[in-house]
Amino acid sequence: MAFCLLYKPVLQFCEIVVNEANFVRKCIGAESCQDDLWGKLVCTNFKVSFIAHNSLPRQCTHRLLGEHDIPLACVEQVVTVNDVKGKQKILGSNQKLKFNPTELILYCKDFRIIRFRFDEAGPESAKKVCLAIAHYSHPADPQLLFGFEYVGKRYHGSTGERVNGVDPGGGLQTPLFDCSSDWDREIKRTGASEWRVCTINQGYFISPSLPEFFVVPVSLADQDLKQYACCFYSQRIPLWCWNHSSGSALVRMSNISDPQQQRKVEQRISSAITKSHPLRSDVFKSDLDKNLPNIQDIQAALLKLRQICVIDSFEESEEKWLSSLESSRWMEYVRTFLRHAVEVVYMLESRHVSVILLEKEDRDLSCVISCLVQLMCDPHCRSLHSFQGLIQKEWVMAGHRFLDRCNHLKRNDKEESPVFLLFLDCVWQLWNQYPAAFEFTEVYLTVLGDSMWVPVFSTFLFNCPRQRAEHSRDFASSKSIHLGQDQALCFPPVWDWSQQFSLKDQTLFNNPLYVGKIATCVQNGTVKTFTHRRSKKNYSSTLRGLPSALRNGSLGPNDTLTRRNSLMLRLRSDLSQVREQQETPSERFVRDFFSRPVDLQGLLLPQLLPSHLSVWKLYFLRWVPEAQIPQGGPITAFHKLSVLTDEIEMLQNQLRQYQGAAGTPNNLHAEHSKMYFKATSTPHQSPAPPEYLSSSFPFSPVGNLCRPGILGTPLSKLLNGAKIWLSTETLANETI
Amino acid sequence: MFFCVQVYKDPSKGELPLLPEEHVQDSAKDVTYICPFIGPVRGSLSVTNYRLFFRCTDREPVFGLDLPLGVLSRVEKIGAATSRGDVSYGLACKDMRNLRFVHKEPEDSLKKSVFEVLMKFAFPVSNNMSLFAFEYKQVFPENGWKVYDPLAEYKRQGLPNESWRISKVNDHYELCDSYPAALVVPVTITDEELRRVSSFRAKGRIPVLSWIHPESQAAVVRASQPMVGQNGRRCKEDEKLLQAIMDANAQSHKMFIFDARPSVNAAANKMKGGGYESEDAYQNAELVFLDIHNIHVMRESLRKLKEVVYPNIEDSHWLSNLESTHWLEHIKLILAGALRIADKVESGKTSVVVHCSDGWDRTPQLTSLALIMLDSHYRTIRGFQILLEKEWLSFGHRFQQRVGHGDKNHTDADRSPIFLQFIDCVWQMTRQFPAAFEFNEYFLITILDHLYSCLFGTFLCNSEQQRLKEEVPKHTVSLWSFVNSQLEEFVNPLYVGYPSHVLFPTVGIRHLQLWVTYYIRWNPRMRPQEPVHQRYKELLAKRAELQKRVEELQREAANRTASSSSERAGSPTRSITPVQTFV
Repeated sequence: MAFCLLYKPVLQFCEIVVNEANFVRKCIGAESCQDDLWGKLVCTNFKVSFIAHNSLPRQCTHRLLGEHDIPLACVEQVVTVNDVKGKQKILGSNQKLKFNPTELILYCKDFRIIRFRFDEAGPESAKKVCLAIAHYSHPADPQLLFGFEYVGKRYHGSTGERVNGVDPGGGLQTPLFDCSSDWDREIKRTGASEWRVCTINQGYFISPSLPEFFVVPVSLADQDLKQYACCFYSQRIPLWCWNHSSGSALVRMSNISDPQQQRKVEQRISSAITKSHPLRSDVFKSDLDKNLPNIQDIQAALLKLRQICVIDSFEESEEKWLSSLESSRWMEYVRTFLRHAVEVVYMLESRHVSVILLEKEDRDLSCVISCLVQLMCDPHCRSLHSFQGLIQKEWVMAGHRFLDRCNHLKRNDKEESPVFLLFLDCVWQLWNQYPAAFEFTEVYLTVLGDSMWVPVFSTFLFNCPRQRAEHSRDFASSKSIHLGQDQALCFPPVWDWSQQFSLKDQTLFNNPLYVGKIATCVQNGTVKTFTHRRSKKNYSSTLRGLPSALRNGSLGPNDTLTRRNSLMLRLRSDLSQVREQQETPSERFVRDFFSRPVDLQGLLLPQLLPSHLSVWKLYFLRWVPEAQIPQGGPITAFHKLSVLTDEIEMLQNQLRQYQGAAGTPNNLHAEHSKMYFKATSTPHQSPAPPEYLSSSFPFSPVGNLCRPGILGTPLSKLLNGAKIWLSTETLANETI
Repeated sequence: MFFCVQVYKDPSKGELPLLPEEHVQDSAKDVTYICPFIGPVRGSLSVTNYRLFFRCTDREPVFGLDLPLGVLSRVEKIGAATSRGDVSYGLACKDMRNLRFVHKEPEDSLKKSVFEVLMKFAFPVSNNMSLFAFEYKQVFPENGWKVYDPLAEYKRQGLPNESWRISKVNDHYELCDSYPAALVVPVTITDEELRRVSSFRAKGRIPVLSWIHPESQAAVVRASQPMVGQNGRRCKEDEKLLQAIMDANAQSHKMFIFDARPSVNAAANKMKGGGYESEDAYQNAELVFLDIHNIHVMRESLRKLKEVVYPNIEDSHWLSNLESTHWLEHIKLILAGALRIADKVESGKTSVVVHCSDGWDRTPQLTSLALIMLDSHYRTIRGFQILLEKEWLSFGHRFQQRVGHGDKNHTDADRSPIFLQFIDCVWQMTRQFPAAFEFNEYFLITILDHLYSCLFGTFLCNSEQQRLKEEVPKHTVSLWSFVNSQLEEFVNPLYVGYPSHVLFPTVGIRHLQLWVTYYIRWNPRMRPQEPVHQRYKELLAKRAELQKRVEELQREAANRTASSSSERAGSPTRSITPVQTFV
């Protein structure tokens, strides 16, 4: 809750001010300017900063960024406007500007649209700051990304000791999969005894895009692998992802580039995978390129979604919201990916065969599908640290081109694609359908998506581990950085959340509903893990007196609500008797799943009816003031749940104390609590949700979405949009 | 407590679950149910005076259908008998599904088919029989007919007061037969003047108070349209009444008249003698049209919605299909209208008059939603019952006509899902404010299911007068008797009741969603989302258990401290940590 009264920008250790302009107005509302903020607009080598003369306190503070800051990497487009002359220009790097801008609009990758006015600023300084922002947001070289300075400066302590405690992950619980021991543990955990860690790519001598350590079938010798490597796209030897408890393996593979070798190599690989299966089951190949949208499709969908969410005027997009949403195809793609993952799960879970995910380069779609499959099958992946490990394993180490897909260098728009965001949306859909099955919250998923645009973390800065190693080595030598024991600069992974948030703010990531960890119950004086399975007693009470055969999942709310009397109208249908000719085996598998009570610690399949997928409102609509629900939204339920969970934690601490165990004293509870919203001292009295809560919490639309005015969209269009749907003329100017 | 409303004996042994006074009327074997999801199912069908029960015994596991006859809107024979003598019957239901059966006609032509018996009992009103609600004699510990006492409710609102009085002018429903007996009107208006006003308002539905703001005294007033006609008739008593309503609120020198209709429709009503208040005649009033369409448009919208959601959902065009039904758009307009009313009253401290044409469809939708936003009492379970009893039942929403209880005339143009739409709006609000309502989703679905079931008397008849005449409270059970006897089933565990909190929902389409757990509940692919409420209840139980243990230990420790402090008097510091004093 920083009260910022400084007129100086808050700079990071190695951040330098490039240019600044005074007497700049930041637009807050679309129409009136009475709420606008006055202050100084600053461009540094890291961010665009606005230092307001009178700033408001915030709920959640970012350690690297102030309230009005935008990292340069987050700036998608820099638009300068002169509304007197009726001119506007999109600025790139090293460009000239022939008019004095009266307005600067920054379109951000995280859907924000921020507007500054220069009515009172000096025309020259306004122009300069705009040009500086445009220039610095288009770095010519990856090493100009702020992360290099940020990390490099940390090695400049006198003895080569690290400043600011850069920690390559030793202190983190998240496995980074950059060493063979992480892979060994994963092999052991999944019981993949017929698989081994392979080290032939150490020093990246075999494949430029593979990690140094990865896992292969034991039956393939290093010598064979080296021989096969040249047949694959970018020498990418097939990678093991995960083993199902039945012994079926999930493997990802790129296309074989040499058509003459194709059959032979494929056969060898397949038979090796078969040999590694305890039942010697077949291998199923799932061609992702054929079944899924490509990266350009995904990018196009996001652009359309952005158009209707934040660029079109609210009232205008409101009329055709559903059909526009449909034609953006974003939701359709989310569904396609989820459905494809379910197909793969079916092969692993029901057919007990190993699955190869086949994609041309094996660096985009495979990342999504492989992660989703593991999230659905493996409850382990649903804890926070394992989820992070999963992203390390399937995205970072497997060489998802984050640098290109994020288009940090703004060099090639064709390579830009929000594959990772699409993945997060798929995870959100799962989370939304099974909110108690995941340790993290939707705030966590949103913040993770936003972190792509903070170019400091090893996670999102590079196309592959080798690129990271090379760049950081080069950077170190060009800046004569003494690396000490390290081979290369150690960038913090995004998983080191303390880089961005205080411990208190990080508690917003903890899901109060998560069953595995927090809800322990105390019985007979011992702390016992609470089982998440719905108790049998509970379940049968929904159907008092009915033979179990009469019930199934078709009754709608019946299953969610225990009841004693059943006055509800019921349709009971027997789902296992569906005419089989109409149904594929995988559909049957899905239907069987839905006819059983769900086990949150077991397999989770998403409901795929289009009516059951929703727009991820917190991510896509958080900046839209009109879409905000003041003092409402899911956060109010989250608040209540957090307080209750906190009370339970507090009581457990008290118990431990009474039992004489080395418990935490009560007064320390507040600091150690996992919950953002704390219990009050008088339990049983439900506190009202705080006034500041809204459906956008912890984000705020204030000043973050100023749809372009006069020039950004044609004036006529703007006026049409202003005609609100329910008013007569007398009330047209009213706001409700 | 466990109330044995419906006892399931073992259906696989052929025993039917019967309610008190429920009797089997006919049954037939070898009926085939053409399930749209799983294909034909053969079994036996029974018809009682309350329900249809279909059971398939020749397959494992057993398959069954069990629905009150009240949900049927139409039963018809489809086509002629096949060569094998099979006849097909289609059953259209009011709760978003259609059922189809195939049955061999009895060879003995004198014997009635089970479906003919079904038709008789499904539409008792058309067959001069009484509805099952009049036979059902279940006794509940709570009497739901006592939930609503108009005078007590007005007293809760602080009425009567110096500006408003409770008039007995309609005690015998002579002023207006569709209004309740107790009416709240400005003290400055005499009963004689009210009578004159009643001749100027459609169906005599004069402007009366629904709700008053406890602080600002701004009032929500409801009425029907003024009978202005093409010649612009005026009524000085009506003008005086509206002025008195405005004067009763010292905070504002203006008032708003919300006409729920689109302005075109309101103007068209002038042809039929109706219309809207002219700003000449009502000088300090501002008239606003809320653009909500009439009952026919709503009926058509729901019909389209049913096509889109039942039986199957088209995967690829779901959103545009949903958009083409306009259902959510209508929901949005109603919520937006209510929001504007609530905002005027709360933020503008202005009194408002709400009317549509007759003031019994769109008007209760708007006033009751605005009241839910303004007054947290109506967000409790009992408060919501009072709201329904008051704004809908006592003020004469024509339930009998709109639902068509027991009436076979399914094409009746008076039928319309107005009340369903209102409940949908409430559900939308519960989504946006998950902790602001005491009741859960099951409560709303239960209300809708018994809107059609005709098991309870609550939603029978068109007005308070009719219900008194038919002695509905005497001869039937109230739905609230059933609900209030097992409240825990209907409680939202996330509820935080905090008074004087006004809810302003966001009415954009972005925040409205189709109520899938109601409209799509028959689809076997549909599964309710993981119940947060269930999980919450588990956590509550956990907390209670822990609390008990902590209290036990505290007591134990206190006892020890008490005994030890007597031994070690003078060293109070040591007894701060009771556990250690014994170590």
